[in-house]
Amino acid sequence: MNSLIKLELTRALRNRKFLFFSVIYPSVLFLLIAGSADATEKIDGTGLTLPTYMMVSMASFGALTAVLMGNSERIAKERESGWVRQLRLTTLPGRGYVLAKTASAAVVSLPSIVVVFAVAATVKDVRLDAWQWLALTGSIWAGSLVFAALGVALGYLAGGDAVRPITMITYFGLSILGGLWMPTTTFPGWLQDIARWVPTHAYAALGQAIEQSRAPHMTDIALLAVFFVLFTGGAAWLYRKDTLKA
Amino acid sequence: MTTTQATTAAAGDTARPAVAFDQVTKHYGDVRAVDGLSLTLHPGETVALLGPNGAGKSTTLDLLLGLRPADTGTVRVFGTSPREAIVAGRVGAMLQSGGLMDEVTVGELVRLACALHPRPHPVSDVLARAGVAQIADRKVDKLSGGQAQRVRFALATAGDSDLIVLDEPTTGMDVTTRQAFWATMREQAEQGRTVLFATHYLEEADAVADRVLVLHRGRLLADGTAAEIKAKAGARRVSFDLEGAVDEATLRDLPFLTSLTVSHAGPAAAPGHHTVRIQSSDADATVHALYGLGLYPRNLEVAGLGLEQAFVAITAAEEAKQK
Repeated sequence: MNSLIKLELTRALRNRKFLFFSVIYPSVLFLLIAGSADATEKIDGTGLTLPTYMMVSMASFGALTAVLMGNSERIAKERESGWVRQLRLTTLPGRGYVLAKTASAAVVSLPSIVVVFAVAATVKDVRLDAWQWLALTGSIWAGSLVFAALGVALGYLAGGDAVRPITMITYFGLSILGGLWMPTTTFPGWLQDIARWVPTHAYAALGQAIEQSRAPHMTDIALLAVFFVLFTGGAAWLYRKDTLKA
Repeated sequence: MTTTQATTAAAGDTARPAVAFDQVTKHYGDVRAVDGLSLTLHPGETVALLGPNGAGKSTTLDLLLGLRPADTGTVRVFGTSPREAIVAGRVGAMLQSGGLMDEVTVGELVRLACALHPRPHPVSDVLARAGVAQIADRKVDKLSGGQAQRVRFALATAGDSDLIVLDEPTTGMDVTTRQAFWATMREQAEQGRTVLFATHYLEEADAVADRVLVLHRGRLLADGTAAEIKAKAGARRVSFDLEGAVDEATLRDLPFLTSLTVSHAGPAAAPGHHTVRIQSSDADATVHALYGLGLYPRNLEVAGLGLEQAFVAITAAEEAKQK
């Protein structure tokens, strides 16, 4: 299986468009949003400056892009082309394909997190303790697994033509509603009530809790856990259904 | 259980069929794709699976490879389930619908196939044997149809498998490539591997296989050597000229005759000059009886029918029976 992970990675790193959108684009977006912001002004109710707040949002957004965009479309395409069938004629265990896809996405999502941090620290002077940097990297990276599972589920849910729009809607929906592009505190009240239940909101909230040097809310962790179980279960169910169809 | 069957396979496997289908059925909705199919492939055989589109060839291969579960009946490969046989590296397969991973090179893909096989061949050997060494650096998505087929073949032969399954392997290949492909395939068979291929290029079944299975509506219609299949369809053509009066009824009573035409045509046709064309399922016996009638056939010719005509005859007879 390692050989497949290696090859998936080689391919991902060779794909410039994908690398741009998952590694460079979040940092560019960070600079656009936080570039002109006053480094002393605090976001309502968080005690964090805009650059500090947006750094976590954009790192989460970058990780989301890396794990969601690459996999769902690839899986749908490779199911249609018959590559998935061909792999079933090898010693690779049934889940190996999905695990290799997830693992390679996770490797790409790490630089997309780190690059945002580096840009925020050097350009916008975001300063945190060493443990906070480490904890941020770890939690955003680990949390991206929730969305990697969603990407796999979407890849098995839709066919080659439908998967792109479905992924796009999901991706933008999660990004905007979860407050990755702008703080949810700027939303009207009814939208804030919805946003509270969106997994990307809980995902970014984990990082922001670390920045505030406090323990994350249990509801955020529970919400992410529930979505992880839902997405993984859905992916496993769809995968099995697809396998029986051959 | 003992068996006295002689096979060419490695010791320990002589008693065990390479593939055994026992009363296997597979439905898609109301359509019976495979209908009570029983068949046995012995180690070392090269077998062609022949049938028109929709005969159930691809479904049969899917069942054999464990890609679909059978509704009823059992499928065993080297005495185990298809999946177990694949995990043990005993089966290499090339599917018609087998896609390739794109955005990687041919060499990288073959290296992956070798890495996934428990008894891999050296990558360079696999590339060379499949005739893709020259295009090893090319991206998979930039290949022609024939090149992609050869890459699929490379994947199917990446390791030391005992059974090689090929679904219409020469689709998209030109004539030269096709000949080279079958030469490689014969090499595989000569090394004692069991080879099963589905094809609708009937001359390929005739030229390559030592055994031909004819599949029709998910059932086994015929099972034998290409020569036997032809014979089964009354597949030898006997033609000769006769002088003088010809009694068609007498000719029609000849043994093993399946069709008869008598014509008076011919550029220099003298009165009482006839040309007789007969199809016979046992030409030797038919000709013997012809002389027995006291006739003196001139310009006697006995020729085999191509497998294609034999195949058409068998399936047409089967369809007539069902109506």
